Amino acid sequence: MRPVLTPVFLGSLSRRRLTTAFSLIAVVLGVALGMAVQAVHTAALSEFSRGVRTVAGEADLRIVGPRNGFDETVYPLVAALPEVAAASPVVEVTTRVAGQEQALQIAGVDLFAAAGITPALLARPSAGSDRLSVLGEDRIFLSDAARVQLGAPPGSELSLRAGIHLVRVVVGGDIPAAAENSRLAIMDIAAVQRQFDRLTRLTRIDVRATNGVSLETAKRAVQAVLPTGVIVETPEVAENQAALLSRAYRVNLTMLAAMALLTGSFLVFSAQALSVVRRRSEFAFLRAIGLSRQRLLVWLLGEGAAIGLVGGVLGVALGYAVAWALLELFGGDLGAGYFAGLRPRLEFTPIASLTYGTLGILAGIAGAWWPAREAATVPPAQALKAGDDASIPVGHGHPRVGLVLLAVGIIACWLPPLGDLPVGGYAAIACLLGGGVLLLPVFAAALARRLPNALSVPARLAKARLEAVPGHAVIAAAGVLTSVALSVAMAIMVASFRDSVDAWLHQLLPADLYVRAGAVETGTTLDGETQARIASTPGVGTVSFTRHESLRLSPEHPPAALIARPLSMDGRELPVVDRAPPESDPSAVPIWISEAMKDLYGWRPGQRVELPIAGHAAPVRVAGVWRDYARQTGAVMINLTDYRRLSDDRLANDAAITLAPGHGAADVAARVAATAAPGTLQIAYPGEIRATSLRIFDRTFAVTYLLEAAAVAIGLAGVAASFAALAAARRKEFGMLRHLGVTRSQIAWMLAQEGALAAGAGVLGGLAVGGATGLVLIEVVNRQSFHWSMDLHVPWVSLTVFAGVLIALAALGAVVAGRAAMRQEAVLAVREDW
Amino acid sequence: MLELSDLGRAFDGRPVLRDVSLILGNGEYVAIVGESGVGKSTLLNLIAGLDRPDAGRIRLDGDDYGSLDEDALTRLRRHKLGFVFQAFHILPHLTVAQNVELPLWLQGVDGKTAAAPAQRLLDAVGLGDRASSWPRELSGGEVQRVAIARALVHRPRLVLADEPTGNLDPANGARVLALLAEQIHAAGAIGILVTHSRDAAATADRVLRLTPEGLRE
Amino acid sequence: MNRRAFLLAMLGSQGLMRSALAEESRAAQRGSKGAGNGDSVAFAPVVPGRRLVFPDDYGAHPDFRTEWWYVTGWLRLPDGTSIGFQSTFFRVRTGIGEDNPSAFAPRQLILAHAAIADPRLGRLRHDERIARAAFDRAGFTRGRTHVWIGDWVFEQTGDGYHVLIPRSESGGFAYELQFSTPDAPLLNGTGGFSAKAPDPRHASYYYSRPQLKVAGTVTLDGRALPVTGLAWLDHEWSSELLPSEAQGWDWTGINFDDGGALMAFRLRRQDGGPLWHAGTLRNGNQRNSDIHILMNNDLTLTPTREWASSRTGIRYPVQWQVRAGARTFDLAPLFDDQELDSRRSTGNVYWEGAVRAQETGRTVGKGYLELTGYDRRIWIG
Repeated sequence: MRPVLTPVFLGSLSRRRLTTAFSLIAVVLGVALGMAVQAVHTAALSEFSRGVRTVAGEADLRIVGPRNGFDETVYPLVAALPEVAAASPVVEVTTRVAGQEQALQIAGVDLFAAAGITPALLARPSAGSDRLSVLGEDRIFLSDAARVQLGAPPGSELSLRAGIHLVRVVVGGDIPAAAENSRLAIMDIAAVQRQFDRLTRLTRIDVRATNGVSLETAKRAVQAVLPTGVIVETPEVAENQAALLSRAYRVNLTMLAAMALLTGSFLVFSAQALSVVRRRSEFAFLRAIGLSRQRLLVWLLGEGAAIGLVGGVLGVALGYAVAWALLELFGGDLGAGYFAGLRPRLEFTPIASLTYGTLGILAGIAGAWWPAREAATVPPAQALKAGDDASIPVGHGHPRVGLVLLAVGIIACWLPPLGDLPVGGYAAIACLLGGGVLLLPVFAAALARRLPNALSVPARLAKARLEAVPGHAVIAAAGVLTSVALSVAMAIMVASFRDSVDAWLHQLLPADLYVRAGAVETGTTLDGETQARIASTPGVGTVSFTRHESLRLSPEHPPAALIARPLSMDGRELPVVDRAPPESDPSAVPIWISEAMKDLYGWRPGQRVELPIAGHAAPVRVAGVWRDYARQTGAVMINLTDYRRLSDDRLANDAAITLAPGHGAADVAARVAATAAPGTLQIAYPGEIRATSLRIFDRTFAVTYLLEAAAVAIGLAGVAASFAALAAARRKEFGMLRHLGVTRSQIAWMLAQEGALAAGAGVLGGLAVGGATGLVLIEVVNRQSFHWSMDLHVPWVSLTVFAGVLIALAALGAVVAGRAAMRQEAVLAVREDW
Repeated sequence: MLELSDLGRAFDGRPVLRDVSLILGNGEYVAIVGESGVGKSTLLNLIAGLDRPDAGRIRLDGDDYGSLDEDALTRLRRHKLGFVFQAFHILPHLTVAQNVELPLWLQGVDGKTAAAPAQRLLDAVGLGDRASSWPRELSGGEVQRVAIARALVHRPRLVLADEPTGNLDPANGARVLALLAEQIHAAGAIGILVTHSRDAAATADRVLRLTPEGLRE
Repeated sequence: MNRRAFLLAMLGSQGLMRSALAEESRAAQRGSKGAGNGDSVAFAPVVPGRRLVFPDDYGAHPDFRTEWWYVTGWLRLPDGTSIGFQSTFFRVRTGIGEDNPSAFAPRQLILAHAAIADPRLGRLRHDERIARAAFDRAGFTRGRTHVWIGDWVFEQTGDGYHVLIPRSESGGFAYELQFSTPDAPLLNGTGGFSAKAPDPRHASYYYSRPQLKVAGTVTLDGRALPVTGLAWLDHEWSSELLPSEAQGWDWTGINFDDGGALMAFRLRRQDGGPLWHAGTLRNGNQRNSDIHILMNNDLTLTPTREWASSRTGIRYPVQWQVRAGARTFDLAPLFDDQELDSRRSTGNVYWEGAVRAQETGRTVGKGYLELTGYDRRIWIG
């Protein structure tokens, strides 16, 4: 390839700055969004892994159980195994400093056991303190970050929440190896067991295998002595589980970014298609003087690649900037709550950066491909002779291919998930979009034909144009269709989701007041005495207590939630979506599983399964399936009475209170609060809980909205870019029309209506494809990624407004883009013929 | 009647037209010939109302261009002028009939009403059976015949033709020129044909030569 | 006796232990308050006149603050090489969590230290462990000697003892030794009441088992070798051992070839001057019949040669002259570098090594020498 041709080809990009800029922006946005999602996630995950690794230290294995831990007698059994060189028992509690929001994760460790396995969990007494203070029952050791955040220098006193009590501790020093973990605190294991009411309980045992014993052997030996529901895993599993947990969310975001990139590709396509048409005689001349077909093709692809390269580089840079901003604003999970509390640091990842940069180039090349091939295949003689804009391709698209794609898309919806990812769903969405774009010309022409004939001249001209050459509409509207489809799909999905979550919250929160001892994850509880006091408080009608546990059913899956609360035999308190036929055996303990349990563990209504409760395998029967939006990793509901019989655990985490007639909620709330030490019982009204939940929900989707807005902006830019290119190509047409007595405003109107029509076709197509995609998101993608179903809810009003605004904006964009072609000088565009 | 009085036009201080005067009565069809760069295009732009003279004035049927604003000039073109271009300038996305109807649409005539005169003109140029064809399905000569039909469909007072045969072969060119002359005469319009070609010029009633000093017989 | 250096270092294993002696002394004067939670704990006092009763006093005395079983000696490898060994097990009552129902309550800690002094290596192999007495993972028994951490065990068996150090994570050695003696315990001080200072509060109960016959196996770098030898056992317990002005101590225990035994120690002031001398000399092999309890005037320990550690720069008096009553012995180390540098794990450095005893130019016995408080970083401040 002779670089001497560079000005001929790449120079053409600089001659059409506006269209080039639009294409570039689209590619930049697409790459940037993908890069940002990737960078944020990498940062969050590596921070999470760092946390896991720091805490895991030299441990080869770790033993974990349900949320409330397992019996400490497991420890001597494990430690005595010849396969185990050292074992470090840990009891962890999450609590809060009284009067502060910041959660504190206290690891109760045996420092002598931890020293050889998890050096990060070693506390250091502050200078001048008692040598045995690391063992002190009232001593807490804070990471530097936690000390700063809590404003608690060594020697100061802290009041920690422990159930409904307060525990006073003295800051005894720091944790040198985990200075940056702002949530970590260390106490002696015995102190935690006693002070936080965790006697006889452990939550974790870190294990170092004996030298020369394979990890697998050690793992088998350890697992053999563990009770049901307590499992041994490698520390990496925790990382993997975290990665898995957020993977679906991450993939969904990346798909949005891919859509943006695809839209960018369409823009490159439209710009190149039009540019190539305009330069047809130029290419014919070059071919005539000896430029080979391949070289022409390569040069034209090079134009697309150049846009892609610049867009890729800028996109990667912008991506990191966006990632930085997102991390600052939302944290590592983009507000979704998977990595709450982590403070991830942005890292430059060369491979990902290169990948996304390359994706930008590929998008540019892909966009340039079809126009380049068109240009290269035109016989030069014919092109030389025609030498005019009469040769703009008509393009009715490939409706048959489009129909095939739609059919394939529908079939793909029935594919099972691949590696927990809804691959079929994504394939279906891709097929729907591709099919939609391919059918767009036919659809646009049909749309134009349906318009009334008695129209003004501009409208008539616009209609005639769309009807006759819908190929142009595709060029302008493909990006609109893609972005609208994407936005509409997300809008429908989010609206359905939000609506369903709201309904779900209403059903799950029927009581008048909710009482709890602390955040659920802190495991702080209401003991029997407190339960009795709450129940007998004047004004309390009925009260039902809930106990939260978790279940370790397999090392591959993160723990599933176990929720024990009063339940009717028919589960009418739950949003049941499927139920087993009535059971004749009255002794069968019924449980209600969430949809995720069904998907992850393959449990079915009517099936008899075993639940590891309190170290024993309890036989139960799946009475039905309920919908749960709170726990992606699965949840099991069991009647509180059954749970207490099986576990002998009388504690409760929270209470739902229905008021006795004639009592005000506020009065009763005050009286209930007074049954325990001030500030220990948190009392919430269902309305507040719903509002908080929906606020979290909305925040989760904040980023999604951002991406949608970007996609739509790109789509609109596409309309403007296409019309800018088309308008330039149509200068002679406008000139002729002016000769014939068409006023400038009439031409503007014509362009506006052409823009509106093209965008209208795109928007209508986008609504159709988006509606279908929304269904795929709800029925396939969410079902397979997050294991929950939802009821369809289409936000008609918002969609209508959205479509209207888009069409208006597209019309405006067309006019603005065509303005250059309507200047006085342009009227003389035909002058070269005189 | 078209009156040009002492027209002058200069670009960047360089005079292109000087002292051009001409009076053409209805039904009169003249050819204007001249060397390249002598100002034929400038003269046509002035007559079309797309450019304004530095000196002199233009009147068509008593309307003085100098007293008309931009919109009025546009309306004047819409109602009283017809154009035939060398590059045809037929809209590819309109059918043959629609292209011919276009000037009528611009006058506010609805599609149905416009169909009849358009068809009459297409019959006249010998393309009555191609009304619903697309321009791309026509040969160059046929497209220029469509252009002639379009130029006359709204009964203009003045038809301006710019090298209408420049893109055609001699045989087709001769046919088109004959047709143009015939149709201008039939409409009783004033016709101005700008051309290089002596043969083409010969199809007009009389031939004027544009020189730097003005128009000569 | 004074394996306290090691003990304190272990407890300070988080690297910030300071002026432990003085601090402990202060704690004692405050009324033995437990660390951290301030609950008052009454440690059993060491009083003169209490008769040691066996076998009960072979076992642990958990009411006292500190207690250790300590065995050192010389071993002979099949090729004739002499090596030294040391096994020490400590029990510490922390005063913390006395009323905590948690099974992990750190009321009693067990610490252990094992070392091999191999002249061919030219330095010590050593390893150490520490654990709270919980779940039988680590613990002690009353009524007989039995103390353990994991699979490290120090146990009384029949008329002797059994020490098992089956693996060392860091030291590259292991050993299993059986000890036996027909002799009754040798009571130090006044019937086992061993004073450490003029103030009778600073004292311990202390007996020794010299002339222990050793047989067993030592594994060095994966090679198990049968060994025989002679060892010395100390068992000592106390609640308030040292006066606050003590800076460190020098201790030795020698088995004489004729069946006799010498235990001698001195406490040093901060200026290096002697604070207290005491010892026990058993002449000949007449089964504890010719025993001399040596007090300050009967005993002097005089350094005769210093060795400077190239690792730490600390200078230790590794060669001594001991005047015990009428007899005078010269002590010379098996090799100089028997410094126990455990700064990486415990932050403490001292010297504990095998020595030969000469009397009038003739080697008359073998034993161990312990030198503590020469590490200024730890012992001053």
